Amino acid sequence: MKCRKCKAPAEVALPSHNTAFCRDCFATYFTGQVEKAIRRHGLINPGERVLVALSGGKDSLSLMLELSRLGYDVTGLHVDLGIPKSSVAARTKVESFCTLHGLKLRVVELEKEGLPIPEVKKYINRPICSACGKIKRHWFNRVALEDGFQVLATGHNLDDEVARLFANTLRWDAGYLSDQGPCLDAESGFARKIKPLYRLSEFETGCYAFLNGIEIHTAPCPYSGGASFTGHKRLWADLEHQSPGSKIAFYDGFLKRGRPAFATVELETGAPLAPCEQCGSPTSTGLCGVCRLAIAVAERRAADPDRR
Amino acid sequence: MIIVYVEPDNKTLTFQRHNTVLMLQKALGLRVNDALIIRGDQLLTPDSRLNDGDEIRVRKVMSTG
Repeated sequence: MKCRKCKAPAEVALPSHNTAFCRDCFATYFTGQVEKAIRRHGLINPGERVLVALSGGKDSLSLMLELSRLGYDVTGLHVDLGIPKSSVAARTKVESFCTLHGLKLRVVELEKEGLPIPEVKKYINRPICSACGKIKRHWFNRVALEDGFQVLATGHNLDDEVARLFANTLRWDAGYLSDQGPCLDAESGFARKIKPLYRLSEFETGCYAFLNGIEIHTAPCPYSGGASFTGHKRLWADLEHQSPGSKIAFYDGFLKRGRPAFATVELETGAPLAPCEQCGSPTSTGLCGVCRLAIAVAERRAADPDRR
Repeated sequence: MIIVYVEPDNKTLTFQRHNTVLMLQKALGLRVNDALIIRGDQLLTPDSRLNDGDEIRVRKVMSTG
């Protein structure tokens, strides 16, 4: 198989695009897709400071490296979940990566914030992935606002976005369908959230990470078994295999024709937001969901006979 | 013989013979873009030939949370 652009031996085959690239031309293609996403959706304006959420996986670290190479003012943010072994390994990868590339990094430790994920799992009766996601999003936004970042970037790729859109569509969740996309504008106490990798698949970000020598955290979260998004991703991998290009067509079609309609509906029904009485984060109730979680964990920890 | 390391499963498999990467992927139940197929410091495309004595890393790319 030869590179479509330069005819050198290819290293990356992309059936979705009916093409293949050598490593140099793949780098150009990857950068082009990120630039296209930024340009098409106005993700980052000149001079803006970008906070990049770093989990230690291939997507977030690839995003951080690519944005820094494109000349953006980026700072990484890692949320240490406090899960034994797993969180230590992930944090080590993130810290090593930032040190190697001379990139700025901030770390939030949930243990210090009273919400280590093992305790949330133990004391809170709700799916742990849902609670963990809520807590991470809370801290991403809070650090972005408190430290003066205009933009919060996450490494969500095309597979993540298609799986999420599919799940939202299965439930016809108008609230989520009204604002899912590569850019969520800043409003009501939220920083602008962007997903510059939305045009690139997991395979493509995996190739980028490998070809750039990025050491990634590969072990799955010990608490994530049976997550529904993984099942949806498998379904979509089958569809993409049978009909290459299905994912981007589904997602782009939604952005052009689906999202505007749901956004109109949500404008009529969305609940008003106000600052949380405790932390100042936007919420539709007096206390935000994360502050309520922290209080519940503290109360149940205090009442736990094993902890006395 | 070809030695195959599968990540992140941490499995090591051996195969007597596979002519191409595509044959190996099929034997592992993988579609073309389910995993990176790595030999040394290079990525292999599905048509790449595998040789006796090759050590191949199969790095699955689907994140699970």
